Amino acid sequence: MPTTAQIPASPGSRRLISALGGYGMVLPAFLLMVAIIAYPAVLSIIQTLTTGVDGRATGFTLAQYLFFFHDRLSMTNLLYTLRVGFIVLAVLLVVCFPIALYLRFSHSKLTSAVYILALFPLFVPTINLSFAMIRFTTTHGLLDTLLSRAGLVHYVTPYLRTSGTIIGLVWEGIPFTVLILNAARVQVDDSLLESARDVGASIPQVFLRILLPLIKNAVIIILALQFLGILGSYTIPYLLGPAEPEMIGVFMERTYDQVHAPLQAQTQAVISFFIAAIAGILYVRTVASQQRRTEGR
Amino acid sequence: MRFGFRVSSLALISAVAFLALGAAGVQAQARTTLNVYVDADTNITDWLSGTVAPAFEAANPQYKVNMVIARGGITMDDVINRTIAALKSKADPQVDVIEGLDPSDFTKASLDAKLWVTFSKQNIPNYGTLNPAVNILPYGLPYRGSQVLIAYDSTRVPQNEVPKTFPQLIAWVKAHPGQFVYCRPDKGGSGGNFVIRAIYEANGRNPSAFTADNYSDSLAGTRLPPAWKILSDINPAIFQNGSYPAGNLPTLQLLANGSVSMITAWSDMALQALGNGTLPSTIKLTQLTDLPFPGGYVYTAIPVNATHMAGALAFANYYISLKNEASVVKDIGGFPTIKLSLLPQELQDVLSAALTDKAPPIWPSGSWSDALNAGWYKYVATNAQ
Repeated sequence: MPTTAQIPASPGSRRLISALGGYGMVLPAFLLMVAIIAYPAVLSIIQTLTTGVDGRATGFTLAQYLFFFHDRLSMTNLLYTLRVGFIVLAVLLVVCFPIALYLRFSHSKLTSAVYILALFPLFVPTINLSFAMIRFTTTHGLLDTLLSRAGLVHYVTPYLRTSGTIIGLVWEGIPFTVLILNAARVQVDDSLLESARDVGASIPQVFLRILLPLIKNAVIIILALQFLGILGSYTIPYLLGPAEPEMIGVFMERTYDQVHAPLQAQTQAVISFFIAAIAGILYVRTVASQQRRTEGR
Repeated sequence: MRFGFRVSSLALISAVAFLALGAAGVQAQARTTLNVYVDADTNITDWLSGTVAPAFEAANPQYKVNMVIARGGITMDDVINRTIAALKSKADPQVDVIEGLDPSDFTKASLDAKLWVTFSKQNIPNYGTLNPAVNILPYGLPYRGSQVLIAYDSTRVPQNEVPKTFPQLIAWVKAHPGQFVYCRPDKGGSGGNFVIRAIYEANGRNPSAFTADNYSDSLAGTRLPPAWKILSDINPAIFQNGSYPAGNLPTLQLLANGSVSMITAWSDMALQALGNGTLPSTIKLTQLTDLPFPGGYVYTAIPVNATHMAGALAFANYYISLKNEASVVKDIGGFPTIKLSLLPQELQDVLSAALTDKAPPIWPSGSWSDALNAGWYKYVATNAQ
């Protein structure tokens, strides 16, 4: 840690001022969090636990949750969301590791072009992406036309299927994954990799034996944050995915807005919140342990 | 602190935007300014400010139209409640015309307060030109309508195969797997009204069996399942083995690019798309003759305490004039509410196939729609794999 400019004061009071200053800077954000997120969330959780399925207020009850876990549609949608989430995470890693490795080992002029291309989705609004995907992948769309020109006529469109959702979410998730992987491998000492290469290790070996263990935390951070993003995704599964099963975000909005069952939607939200919390805990623990290690160095 | 900074910059931007909007609102007012409140999508508000207002002002130079969009922050409910309050306290409501209402907007509270002007030939000279088949309300002047229609590709659906009744439509869908699609009922009215039409079909084609106040879970439990049966039967024959697009527009796109040969579509969207070439001219529109797909009319109303009553009536009269009704068809793809024979022949031709003299049935929404939106996903869409 670089030292800050010298302030003529005793070390004790200086520490106090900096501590207070720190809290002062955090306070507005913290209060905002409490006021617009924590407080309504707690109210909402309490409401789901004190309302019967008929919508009448009662004492403590698990009726809303029992309904959710016994409702075939709700459970299908929840499990579907988790399944899509894990598939997207797996595909993201499979797609992004080679890109990150390429960026690490290649020094050609093409490298920066590839990097920019990988980050490109970051600058495309999701709604534009979704409609572009529709036009590109739909039946009689660009891809279909190109394939049939090449003689491939058995094209099955991913549009309005689960594969449509997965393709959209992967495309959207690439930049963040590449950014974090890239940042993590920058921290890895080049000499480690080069000495391994010098003694004859192949690139897959360098990756599995040296790079992967060293950037394990970055991978966990990617998995946790991307999972949260997928859990909360809306536009892509809404426009590109099937009507049913639905991702939980789409299901929640529909339950709230179209079925006008706010308590069911709240219950869905609480359940997704707890699932998100698992990923959140994983993320926080990883970041904290990494910080401890850097400070210990 | 990134979060805090974002919030404060957002606040700054909205403050600047607020000031700018406020400044735009205060302008020189030489002529009598009519306050027209409207609740509508941008295609309608653009049309009002870009086409209707200039034409009305040209014909009535003593008036200037100030359009106020009641959407988002203030809703039409707020405007109506404020006008009722002004009526009771004899204050100036600063409202002249209220535009874009549907029948449910004429609330009991507003009727009890005797808020609305009753329209007749006496106060609206053009009143007699209205088409009697249109659902005319005593306090609501219908000026445009839209309904759901069948849109089909005439190069692939021969004239003798075009369905004229709902059973014929279902038979056609089954006979041509993958060639028909409607959107998810809650994501767009073109799909929603197809599903409603199926519900009517399963209940003796009797729209009056569904009213705003006769909903009960048990009634829904007997009336909706037969419709789910009809719809889940055709599910495998829908585009890509039961793939339903998430809106009116994506459905039109599937017809436009030739993925399907037949869809249900909103009349105004289809007419507009045909007009601007988004849909090729080989796409034709038709309406069922046994019972049309549901739709509705949009109404204009005037409160009895309108600040400028003469101006408000002049505006309403212009609104249903031949000139404006032709613009409804040409510019926004709406259905006219005046007698068809009054329209120019070319517009009659555009509309002829799609228009019926029967008024489209009106679905009560509310709890019936909630049950529809829940049931369709549960019993129809889940069959899709």
